[in-house]
Amino acid sequence: MNMNFFTITRWEFKNTLKSKKFLLIFFMQLSVLFMLIIMFNSFEASMQSEGAISLTPSLTDFATLDVDDEGGLFEKRINPEILKIYLTNGNQSLDRLKTGQTNGFYNVSSDSITQIQKGEIVDTTLYLDYSDPKRSVIRDEINTTTQTLSTALTSSYLQSVNPQNNSNTSGVKEEKTGESLPMQLIKKVMLSVLLFLPLFLFGNIIIDSVVGEKERKTGEILVAMPISSGEILLGKGLAVVAISALQVAMWIIVLIGAGFSIHNVILVYLMVVFTAIPIVGLTSIIAAYAKNYKEAGIVISFAYIIVVGFLIVPALAYISRESYSANISPMTTVMRLFTGDTISMPEILLPVVFVLIMSVITFWIAAYLFKRDDILFGPRPGPVSLLLQLIGIKK
Amino acid sequence: MNPDNAMIKIDSLNKSFGHIKALDNLNLEIEKGELLGIIGPNGAGKTTTIRIICCILQPNSGEVTVGGYSIHHDQIKIKSMIGYLPEEPNLYERFKARELLRYFGELYGVPKSQINCRIDELLELVGMENRAEDRINTFSKGLRQRIGIARALIHDPDVIIFDEPTMGLDPATSRTIRNFIKNLKGDKTVILCTHYMDEADLLCDRVAILNQGKIRDIGTPKYLKEKIHGDIILEIRAHEPEKIDTQRITAFESVKGVNLEGDQFLVSLHNREDISKIIDIFGNQAFSVNTKEPTLDDVFIQSV
Repeated sequence: MNMNFFTITRWEFKNTLKSKKFLLIFFMQLSVLFMLIIMFNSFEASMQSEGAISLTPSLTDFATLDVDDEGGLFEKRINPEILKIYLTNGNQSLDRLKTGQTNGFYNVSSDSITQIQKGEIVDTTLYLDYSDPKRSVIRDEINTTTQTLSTALTSSYLQSVNPQNNSNTSGVKEEKTGESLPMQLIKKVMLSVLLFLPLFLFGNIIIDSVVGEKERKTGEILVAMPISSGEILLGKGLAVVAISALQVAMWIIVLIGAGFSIHNVILVYLMVVFTAIPIVGLTSIIAAYAKNYKEAGIVISFAYIIVVGFLIVPALAYISRESYSANISPMTTVMRLFTGDTISMPEILLPVVFVLIMSVITFWIAAYLFKRDDILFGPRPGPVSLLLQLIGIKK
Repeated sequence: MNPDNAMIKIDSLNKSFGHIKALDNLNLEIEKGELLGIIGPNGAGKTTTIRIICCILQPNSGEVTVGGYSIHHDQIKIKSMIGYLPEEPNLYERFKARELLRYFGELYGVPKSQINCRIDELLELVGMENRAEDRINTFSKGLRQRIGIARALIHDPDVIIFDEPTMGLDPATSRTIRNFIKNLKGDKTVILCTHYMDEADLLCDRVAILNQGKIRDIGTPKYLKEKIHGDIILEIRAHEPEKIDTQRITAFESVKGVNLEGDQFLVSLHNREDISKIIDIFGNQAFSVNTKEPTLDDVFIQSV
């Protein structure tokens, strides 16, 4: 093999960086990254704090409710974002309901507090207009309020029976150590996804580079060059890996700048970029076989879903069960690296060897396909026939 | 021809696309410095033949050697020796002319110290020195074809293959390109695939007529014209062609063939003295008589 593929890599890399299409994709990706960071931070904050952003849409002023609750037991617990409350003494509320001035009337017994203290059931009555579609919103909100109140009262009663359970009595607030499983999942997987995301955003560059040769019919000239088909694909693939490497580096800088904690940055970077090689190889297979952009785009979408699944599922399995086999996914390794987890050499070698083998296999298949003139110029064999030929069953 | 002097040897070449047989046991030899024309109808196998010579397509069976190298074992060597201009000069649109030539120059392994000189030389040769920094997507078809020729010559190849180089070009550009190809004669081995018979007649040392994947005939344009037809073609238009007894015409010894196209008879014959006798057969039916020298067009139509 001569080193002509470097010429292709150099020119492809240079031209991609110069192309407006790439610059557009590049800046769109950066804006997506910023949006993801903002969304992630908001989501994390809302998970950790009650007063943070709520994803529930506001229904303020959607429905009104007249409430007669002298004891104030229910009134303060009804969500004002859902129901607009008018405190009344109950005299005119039924008339207001009939004339459509309010959507409901909730009457709570005036001695509700005394009834609770005695352990008796509190008498409440909810009046609704059954021709009004908003009645179901009011009924649901009252049910929710009743349940919340009931839970609070039960908890309060239990604490009064067992006063040693009250951790606030000594003035010391109870804190849990470590994060809950959902928070671990969100933090680790989210960051892993952000790190691996650039690898899936360059499929169209490979399509443009390989399928474009067929569509523009420039492939004929390229194949006539004193360079093998394998070198052509290797050259084009390396250019895309180099662009991915550049992009991943920028994303890591942005993520660190946004306050994400990433341990073992260099190893994390190398592992992510290394994972790009078989993904580019797989994309090259699809691009080498595809007849046009449309066909390649559809197949690549499906293929990437499978690859993303392969990366994420073992990583999730590792978080919940810490199984050894989950290390086969480079995402698991990257996740463990950026969290500062101690990783043994066999655990690192497992994904590295796997990625290496997949890289060789995918590029070999892509080169085999690109070399075949029937695939490049037609008539193309069907996928099943091709598979049988590839494994040597059919000639 | 002297087989030791052969630059390209094609031996029992077969190629099929699915059930379609594109080349059927094709045999051909092209001498060093020769300009060989390949003519034939659409689908005759011209492009398939040159694509196999350029190692773009793989044959099902048979052998091709270029400069003694086999397409089965020495593809990189062969590719280095050939400059190929395909039918459509599909070029990278976003490249500038100079960039394009540099890219292909590097791929062909032209030394970096020589590449700029070579590019300037070729741009001047194809008359595009003023467009060196313009993008390909701003070029007309004629300019693309010129830059395509420069690209094919960037590595100073021993063999140059042109596939329909003047197809769809205006007469002035066609003439420029024909003159350019003419100047390559003797120095380079050239294969010219064309639909234009006058182009083949004008430029080629020998012409091969290809049809259904086989060489139907090969020789100099003069030889082919004489062989297929006689020396003269007599064109006679008749009021009622069906009333003409063609057997009386073919009875002449010098008549090689009679064809009827519409109301016009094409009679090819050797002996000019028979012309008046043939016209007599038509009698009052003849309303137009013309004689012409046979062209490769006639050869082509007769052969395929």
